[in-house]
Amino acid sequence: MTRMERRNLVNGLLFASPYILGFLLFMLYPLAMSFYYSFCQYNVIAKPIWIGWDNYHELFRDSDFTTALYNTLYFTVFSVPLSLAFSIGLALLLNQKVNGMSIYRTIFFLPTIVPVVASAVLWLWVLTPDGGLLNGLLLQFFGIRGPGWIADPAWSKPSLILMNLWTVGTAVVIFLAGLAEVPKELYEVADIDGAGPWGKFRNVTLPLITPTILFNLVMGLIAAFQYFTQVYVMTNGTGSPAKSTLLYALYLYKTSFNYLKMGYASAMAWLLFLVIFAATVLVMVSSKRWVHYHGE
Amino acid sequence: MDTELNSSLSLKRYVGFSILSLLGALFVAWLWPREAKTPEERQALAEGRVIITYWDRHTGHEYEARKSLIDEFNRSQNRIYVRTVVIGSRIEKLLTAIAGAAPPDICSMGTSVLAQLALQGCFTPLEDRMKECPYLEEKDFFPHAWKMVCFDGHVWGIITTIDTTCLLWNKNAFRKAGLDPEKPPKTIAELEEYAAKLTIRSAAGIEQYGFVPWQPWDQTFLWGVMFGGKWWDENTGLLTCGSDPAIIRSLAWQQSFSIDPRSNSNPPYAVDPARTSQGRLGGAYQSANNPFYTGKVAMITEGEWQCTFIPKYAPDLDWGVAPVPQPEEVPPICNSQDGVADAIPSGSRHADEAWEFLKWFYSPRPDGRPSPASDYCMLIHNIPPRKEEALQERFIGDPKFGVFVRQLLERPAASFPTIPAAQFLSDIMDEQREQLLYRVVTPEQAAQTIEQATNAETRAAWKLAGRINP
Repeated sequence: MTRMERRNLVNGLLFASPYILGFLLFMLYPLAMSFYYSFCQYNVIAKPIWIGWDNYHELFRDSDFTTALYNTLYFTVFSVPLSLAFSIGLALLLNQKVNGMSIYRTIFFLPTIVPVVASAVLWLWVLTPDGGLLNGLLLQFFGIRGPGWIADPAWSKPSLILMNLWTVGTAVVIFLAGLAEVPKELYEVADIDGAGPWGKFRNVTLPLITPTILFNLVMGLIAAFQYFTQVYVMTNGTGSPAKSTLLYALYLYKTSFNYLKMGYASAMAWLLFLVIFAATVLVMVSSKRWVHYHGE
Repeated sequence: MDTELNSSLSLKRYVGFSILSLLGALFVAWLWPREAKTPEERQALAEGRVIITYWDRHTGHEYEARKSLIDEFNRSQNRIYVRTVVIGSRIEKLLTAIAGAAPPDICSMGTSVLAQLALQGCFTPLEDRMKECPYLEEKDFFPHAWKMVCFDGHVWGIITTIDTTCLLWNKNAFRKAGLDPEKPPKTIAELEEYAAKLTIRSAAGIEQYGFVPWQPWDQTFLWGVMFGGKWWDENTGLLTCGSDPAIIRSLAWQQSFSIDPRSNSNPPYAVDPARTSQGRLGGAYQSANNPFYTGKVAMITEGEWQCTFIPKYAPDLDWGVAPVPQPEEVPPICNSQDGVADAIPSGSRHADEAWEFLKWFYSPRPDGRPSPASDYCMLIHNIPPRKEEALQERFIGDPKFGVFVRQLLERPAASFPTIPAAQFLSDIMDEQREQLLYRVVTPEQAAQTIEQATNAETRAAWKLAGRINP
């Protein structure tokens, strides 16, 4: 390394030092400490007591942990693909050449900017079993007495999945950008070959937006595994009814802040990290088979 | 270009800029007001008064009531100024403040979390200070109220308010069902009979619920007490409900109010638990749409604060209050589950001044008027924990509020176990009651799970504190 290079390196590091310091103090240090606490009994006030792998062993004996994991997997498995399909459908509709399209796009994006707590309270009213908006409509127009939705163990997770469709605005915007990238010539070629709308979607649009699908899939997975605020607000932090909405992040929160078992909660957090990491790696590895990049 | 860039990004300039920024930041920090935030607080500082911080767990009218009394204290003082901060009931804020060596000087706490936090060393014991104050003697308090703040041989707080539960009924609903509106049910058998008569069904569902034992929230503790059950052993600090026949009976009774989908002979008052869980009957609790106010529920078990809420949200409601029905053979008892207490967190920088304020708040005023604490109870319609204050005409003389107060004076009262796993116990009671209503567990299993899981948590909490459960 020449003198100039060394000087540049030092200068570069100095200029980046506010970020590096912030990262070390507010990201790396808490991460490292939470890893350490995951091997301890720790309640914030008292000194942590080292207990080795006990927290991790305990997790696999904890029936609530298994329930929370199952609920989260159920939510993720149904919510992520459904949200993807729904946002692609919406993006296709919002990609039409119709007057006032920017207004429609804004309308569909609006739910995304509604504060999460406010939207959760709103959905609570919509999904109230007796006198709620949804069941009221079902009764008035179809003569059906709707289910208990979020209050019924059989319907609570589907209710959350349904609710989650309301906030696909960000994914839709990304899909719109992806759709804009699809070369028009390919549609012209498909037209000449006599392809119908479905044929064009299946053979032109879909393959060419697979990179966008991959991005939204990974982001959706991460968000679904960490789904928390809505369920916290809607169930008063309990995961009711009958633990059917006790999602992983909610159980983690209860463990840490209601019962002050920070060590145990840290172990849960690290396990969640591993699960998300594994799911992401799996998606990335599989993407080689189904994601097509332009020019490849 | 390269030379230009290097010269503009020179180390000397960078260091110079950094030092300048640092000095700037230090200057702003020096200028930043350390203690005073409002003009009143600046004035107090200028007068040389000590500012102490009070963390209030309440918002809304309860906070306003407390604030008005604290203002009175501040006006009367030339030594101390109390700053009130609304903090809510989340305990993690207090924990992080204590861990960060910046706790408030006083905090108001729900008594149900007091033992959990005390075991971790969050509070300063108050028994020695209390000996100095003639108005804070154990004998003056309702016995159960005093116990709410005692744990592990110490007194951790001064109890400010206590609650009790009664049966509230809608007199119009009684009239429509052909029942005497002045005669509420007294026994469990009568409660069931009335619930059946008051439950009105239609093709669209239930128009009016007669009675739902888990409305407006989980009342598992209450029903265990009303059936004559004993949830815990005060000497060991451990739960004993798993084998208590009365507790198991109370759980089975709650279960009988939920429709069994496999049975053809559900009682006429049985309801769908999914449509009747907390907050699911439509309408926010503190609003005109509360299901009891709108007539959606004809009878409900509720606390004395309804004497403030109903005139405010449903002034036209014709309602009555009576003790909660019990099985005929069980001696009269009442439930006084939780309270609110003031505690001095460990590490408080102005503990003496904090105590000075607390002494003022809980003692009668020098001019003979009642204590600010009893005024506070009056303003928010909660029950004063000191018997003498509860006997004041303004509490006992009120035709409705008086019913709540009298039952505390006339009957023994059961309060929630003061154990370090109280929050866990409250959660697991709710959880097991739900499982019971959906027939996932039997009453016996629910009682045993509550006992075993809570006792395991209690033991773990003691172990974590480096102690053995006495």
